[in-house]
This record gives sequence, C-alpha cells and structure tokens, in this order.
Amino acid sequence: MPRRSPSIRRTVFAITLGVVSVFLLASSLVSMAVFSSIVSESVLAQAREINKQIVMNFESYASNIIETANTIQYASASLDVDRDASALSELYRVDTETKKDVIAVYLFDQEGRLVAGEGINPGLYPQPKARQWFISAMQRGDIYNFSSRGESSIARGREEEVIDLSRKVSFTRDHNAESGVLLVELNYDVITDLARRTNLGQFGHLLILSDKGDLLYSSEAGPERMTALSAPIAAGMYLGEKRVSLAGTDMFINVTTLTPTRWLIATVSNINALKVAMYRLGALLIAIFLLSIGVSALVAALHSLSVSRPINQLISAMQLVESGDFSTPVVATGPEEIIALSDSFNTMVRKVQELMLTLVGQQRDKRKLELQMLQNQINPHFLYNTLDSIVWLAERERNADVIQTVVSLARFFRISISKGESFIPVADEISHVSNYLTIQRIRYGDRFVYSIRIDEALKDLKIMKLVLQPLVENAIYHGIGEEGGEIGIEGRLEGEAMYFSVRNNGYGITETRIQEMYQSMRGEAGHKSVGIRNVYQRLKLYYGEAADISISSILDESTTVTLKIPRQVPEEAS
Amino acid sequence: MKKPLRLLSLFCLALCLLSCSSKSRLVGLFIYDEQDPFIEAFARQIVTDSKGLFSVQEYDAGGSQLIQNQQIDSLLKRKPALVMVNPVDRLGAFAIVRRLKAADVPVIFFNRQPLQDDIELWNRTYYVGDRAEQSGRFEANLVMHLFGDNPKKLNEYDRNGDGVIQAIILKGEQGHQDAEARTNEVLRCFAERGFKLEILAVRIADWSYDEAYTKMGRLLAQYKDRIELVISNNDAMALGAIRRMREGGFFADIDANGHVDRHGRSWVPVVGIDGLPEAIQSVKNGFLYGTVKNDSDTMARSMVNLARAVIADPADPQPLPVLQDGHYLWVDYQPFVAQE
Repeated sequence: MPRRSPSIRRTVFAITLGVVSVFLLASSLVSMAVFSSIVSESVLAQAREINKQIVMNFESYASNIIETANTIQYASASLDVDRDASALSELYRVDTETKKDVIAVYLFDQEGRLVAGEGINPGLYPQPKARQWFISAMQRGDIYNFSSRGESSIARGREEEVIDLSRKVSFTRDHNAESGVLLVELNYDVITDLARRTNLGQFGHLLILSDKGDLLYSSEAGPERMTALSAPIAAGMYLGEKRVSLAGTDMFINVTTLTPTRWLIATVSNINALKVAMYRLGALLIAIFLLSIGVSALVAALHSLSVSRPINQLISAMQLVESGDFSTPVVATGPEEIIALSDSFNTMVRKVQELMLTLVGQQRDKRKLELQMLQNQINPHFLYNTLDSIVWLAERERNADVIQTVVSLARFFRISISKGESFIPVADEISHVSNYLTIQRIRYGDRFVYSIRIDEALKDLKIMKLVLQPLVENAIYHGIGEEGGEIGIEGRLEGEAMYFSVRNNGYGITETRIQEMYQSMRGEAGHKSVGIRNVYQRLKLYYGEAADISISSILDESTTVTLKIPRQVPEEAS
Repeated sequence: MKKPLRLLSLFCLALCLLSCSSKSRLVGLFIYDEQDPFIEAFARQIVTDSKGLFSVQEYDAGGSQLIQNQQIDSLLKRKPALVMVNPVDRLGAFAIVRRLKAADVPVIFFNRQPLQDDIELWNRTYYVGDRAEQSGRFEANLVMHLFGDNPKKLNEYDRNGDGVIQAIILKGEQGHQDAEARTNEVLRCFAERGFKLEILAVRIADWSYDEAYTKMGRLLAQYKDRIELVISNNDAMALGAIRRMREGGFFADIDANGHVDRHGRSWVPVVGIDGLPEAIQSVKNGFLYGTVKNDSDTMARSMVNLARAVIADPADPQPLPVLQDGHYLWVDYQPFVAQE
C-alpha cells in the first residue's frame, strides 16, 4: 500500500495558516521594532530637549551672575579702596539692591579683613580666612568658586541660605596693588526657582552635584527617595545619558556640566510613558496577530472545505456506486474542476448502468431460450413412451384405449404448443395435465387413480404453461408403486396468489432429501429432479420472488409439492 | 547560491568591523566653535597632519559645553582611540576627563587649558598649548627692546622724555585666564627690568576688533597726546585700535614714500599677540610694531605626534614627546617684528 499524503483539506488549511502566520509574525516584529525605535527616539529626544532647556536656563543665570561679579571685580580693581571707598560700597549696594538674587557683596584682603561692603555681621563671621569660600578662592586664583549648600548669609539681618561666589581679585589700596577675595552671596532660592520651572514628569527631578560628585541640590520634594537612587548613578556617569529603572519606573538620566561652574547638573526624566506605550503596542499587536490568525484560520478552513467538500461528495457517491446503487446521480458544487469531474463521473455511471442493463437483459433472454429448449426436450421422450404404449395397446387390440390415448395425445400437444403463447388459462393447463394423466393411466394399466379439484375462480386466470405436468410426472414416477397409488391435484385462489398442489401417496421422502431437492431447484448442487428444477427456474425467471415451490412429505403416507403463482401475469411476459 | 554569498560578505563585514573596533584609529576632534576662524584653521591643520595616521571625526560645539558634552558622549559609543578636546568651558573639563577615564579613551586638550587638578585626574590626559605668560613676556620684551633696553635711559620713543612710558592696556575678557595672565606677565616683566610704566587706562575690549575700535575713540579723546604705547592682549584688538588711531591722525607717512614713518610724533608702538595674517601684514606695512606669533602649525603637528604616540600599537611604538609633569606639551610663541 503506498504511503498516504495528508488530506487536501488539511494540507490547504495548514499551508494557508502557516504562510499567514509567518508573514504576520514577521510584520508584527518589524513594526514593533520600527515603532519602538521611532517612539523611543522621540521620547528620548524630548527628554534631551527638556534637559537642554533646563541646563541653558541655569547656564544663562550663572553667566549673568558671573558677569555681575566681573563688573564688581573690575570696579574693585579700578578704584582705590581707600580713596574711593564710598564709591565702591555704593556700587556693591546698588548691585545688591538691583539684583534680587544678590544678597550681599564684600571684599576682603588677604588676611580676611573686610575692605569694602556694608552690613556685615561680625558676630556671625569671626574668621573669614577659615571659611571654605575664602580658602578655595585663594587656592584657585583664576576662577570663580561656587560653594556648596548649607551656608547662611553673613549680612546683618539676613538669614537666608546662600551660595557663596568667591574669587581672588587684585585691588589697589593707597596706590599699592594688593590681592584679596571678593565674595558675592547669592540666594539659594534661585536654584529652587529655576528648578521649579521644569517638567520632568512624575518622580522626575533635577540634581546638582559638585565636581567630586557630592549631592548639592535635588528638586525632589519630600524624603528624596528617588534622589537616593539617582544621585549615585548620576555621579558615576560624570556626563552623558543613561536609561535606568528607579524603583520600577523607567527614567532617563542626563548629566552635563553647568557652565561656568564646577558643578554637574543632572536631569532625571520619567520615560515610563515609553514602557507603557511599548506594552500597549505589544498588546495591540498580539491582539491583531491573534485576530488575524483566527480570521485566516476560518478563511483557510472554509477555503479548504470548498475544495474538499465536493471531493468528499464525489467520494460518497462513488461509494454508493461501489455498493451497487447506480441510480443516485452526484450533485457537486464548488470549483469548476470538481463540477467537470462529477459530470464525467455521472456520465460514466450512466454508461455503466446502461451497459449493465443490456447485459442483464441479454443474460435473461439467453436463459429463457435455454429453458424453452429444455422444456421442448421433454416432449420427444414422452412422445416416444406414449407412442410405444399406443403400439402396445394396438397389439392387444384395445382400440377404445388406442383412440382415447391418441385423442388425449393430440390435445396434450395442442395445449403444449398453444400457438406459441407462454401463458394460458388455468383451465387449459388443467386440461393438459388431465390429458397427460389419461395417457399415463392407460399406459400404467389403471394402477393409480387421480383426482383434480380446481376452484371455479381459477379457471379463467392465466398461468405460465406446462408447470403442473412435470410435477405430475414426478408424482407418477416416484409415488406409484406396484400396489398402485393416488394422485391428487388441487388448485385454489388465496388473495393474490394461486396455489396448486400435487400430492401422491407413496412412501414419502426424508427431510434431507427435501433439502437436497430445494438446493437442486435453486441450481446450487446436484442435477437431480430436473423437471421440478426446470419449473422452478422458469417461475422465478418470469414471476420473480412472488412465485415459489414448497415440498412437504409425511413418511409412508404422502408427498405434496405446492406451487405458489401470482394471480397476475407478469407484464413483461404478456 | 546567492544566500551563502551574502552571508559570507556579511560575515566578512562583521569581522572587519570587529577588527577595526579592536584597533580603532578613530580620533574625535572637538572644537568649541567653528565660527572662530583661528580654531577653524587650526582644526583644518590637525586634519591635514593626521592624514594617513588616523581618521579624524570633527565636531563643532557651537559655543555650548552642553552640546560638546553630548557630542563626546555619543562618540564614545563608536569607541574612538583618542579624543582631542578644545573645551568650551574649561571648568567643565573634570567631567570630560572622568567620563573618558571610565571609557579608557585618552584625551588631548588644547587651546583652553583645564585646571591642573582636572588634568591630573588621569595619567592619560594631556594638554597641548602655549603659555599665556610666555606671550606676555615676549610682548614686554619687544616693547623694552624698542625703548632701548635700558630702563635708566629711554630712547626717543619716550616722546615726552620723562623716563616713564605712558601706556594704554587693551584687555580681552574680564576674568579670562589668558587676558589676566598676559596682562599680569607684561606688567611683571616691566617691573622686573625696572622700566617705569604709567598706565593711563585699562580697557576691556573682549578680544574684539570692533570693541577695541570703539573704546580707542574715547581713549584718544582723553589721552591723545600722552599715549606712548598701546599693549593689546591680542592682534584683533590691536588692529581695531590702529584703525581708530589712523582716523585720529596717527601713523602718518611724513616723507610720503608710501611707508609709515616711525620717527615722527604720529607713530605710536602698538603690540599684539597671536600672529594673525592681517597682523603680520600690518607689521610689514609699518603700522603694528610687533606681534607674538601663536605657532599653530607647530602646535597642530605636536598634537598629532602626541596622539600617534599615545595610541601607538605596542608592536610599533612611537616616541612620546617630552611632557612636563607627564601631561603638558608646551609650544613656544615666536616674537614677530618688521626687519629694520
């Protein structure tokens, strides 16, 4: 048996679904990748832009302050602090008043003594030389130093937290060039003000770190939970950008320097929206994917069904034909190939059917002919015997018997021929049998008696000719012994069937023998009981199932053969 | 048949990229602002000198340290062998050094000198530049030479013969490291040699030609006949001042021989620093007395040589130039005056 490929339906389904799945998956992945890079690029670009704006705000502020400080420094260097002391203090005062961020301006000499500036609170500030801003300024003479947080103003009556901007400067005192330290106190709140204008999203915050990485400022309100996480990362980055997850939130950290200070400024922006967008897109893509797979599975199933259903219809129609039903034509729907196929199949079945009918008809005709010939074969044998007995009667000069025998023989033959008719009235058939019995009785020397009882209703009905005589012939041969016997012929009408029985009172026959006779009749085994088989075959051939022969016997008493013949002559035969 | 070929070529490409990145010859060149012609020309010189040695990727910060920081951070993804940085803000260099140290990419700073602390954060940090003090000293020397090299007896250029030189100082940016250093060094040198200097005025002109031109107008109105010397922190301001002085009747061609005459009251020595082509031309024409050339050709070559030595394959070592303190490579200024 050759290896079977999977069914068309399954193949079409699998291929369609497979191709669709692969393409869908590929396009989903590609669109995911493209979308994710576009979205993340735009979100990050936005975060960068915000960072840039913030840093520029701070830078522009810082540059402003440096410019102010430069002006002050220049003025300090140009004016003689002794001769122009009042002018210098006035300049400091104006700067303090016009610039709200500037709380106070002071000039100290190398020893930390106040040279210019008003309103200092000596109690709050006993030792300028020891302060960080003073030391830094003297150490790094060429730059402005920004202090860390946590200092309070040294001006009288001011308690604000300040950022100290200090620088080593040169000034002239009494015509002598000296160096000292210029201190500009800035309100710490400016950083808070600048930071407040930022929008970095939920949990987003701004950090300012010293050049050592120490946290100077965080815009995060409250206990600075996020800052505790972000500040070490920012300090470790020095500069650049990084995506991190802080306490489960996606953040984008951007660190850069804050010109012109020694500080680092870091913005920590919330880009969780990116993750959310990705999740949404992922969910959407999966939904689209599943839906598409579902739809294409359905379409594939329907499509494969449209191919396979007509084929399956064709197959079941063929199975019908296989089991012998040629009458149901295949009605196929679907693709034209299938319709063409079913049309061809129908044509083929019709042809086969026609051929079969022809063959069957031919076979039956042939069989009828054979039986006809068989029937005709009997007659010469009987004729020979009868002529023999006529000769015997004539030799004994039993003229009356010769005459009766010859007359009976003539009638017998006339009915036998019956102008070629196959069906004759029951009266004629009975007459045929009684002629036969008359001849035989003369021949057998009256060793048997017979009786014929036929319903009047039967007499005009037609019956297939020459069905009783072989049975009677059998009854005489097997039923009449040396001591003589009786032959009883009866005919009756029961409903639609005629029953004719031929009974003899011989020894009877066994059940086994009866079964053998049935088998012989049906042509299944043996070639005994030729006469009865001939009758049986002819009845079946013309009347079909409705006709039958039954045999019954009571040992040492009688044997009866009964014919059942439909009342109606078969149409085909009439 | 095509597929395996394509795969093979991809594989080769990947291999090449891998090998390229493992022995990167990519050098990042970061300049603070390409609008500055000096820096732009200097960058061109570095690119020219680097030909055949390494591929230079140039970045312009447009005057923003923020942008320069981003540029450096983004280049690091391409794993450069070295970067050359002309910082916008020298105070921010510490962040750059720390970032590069973490990525193990050596750095050569130039043109703006970071703080010493920042340079010393890592032993693969270098600075190539000139010393602002040296330019100031050379500038002072030019002037002292003109006045006869003898503080006790100034020559004819002490127009009023009082033994003191009446001078105007044009400073660059207030608070700018170079402006302060140059000015201080000039004054220190005069004092050291015993030359007496009376500073009529110090004016801030932000390194600018136009600014100097404007400020000089007011100075002339105030000090016109007393000015014996103009010391400028750079050439651009010197040239701007000369333009204004010429409009005010200075630098006359007395004998009308097509050349400015020094030996008249109208000629006042103006000195600059940088050696711009316009300044050299002005010196040759007799207006500008002298300038101190910032030797950018030598500097560019020195940077390329240093870079070459720093990133050299250990199998093919290159001689490392002599460095001061392991970090600094100094390029000398060169005084430039007209040949008498």
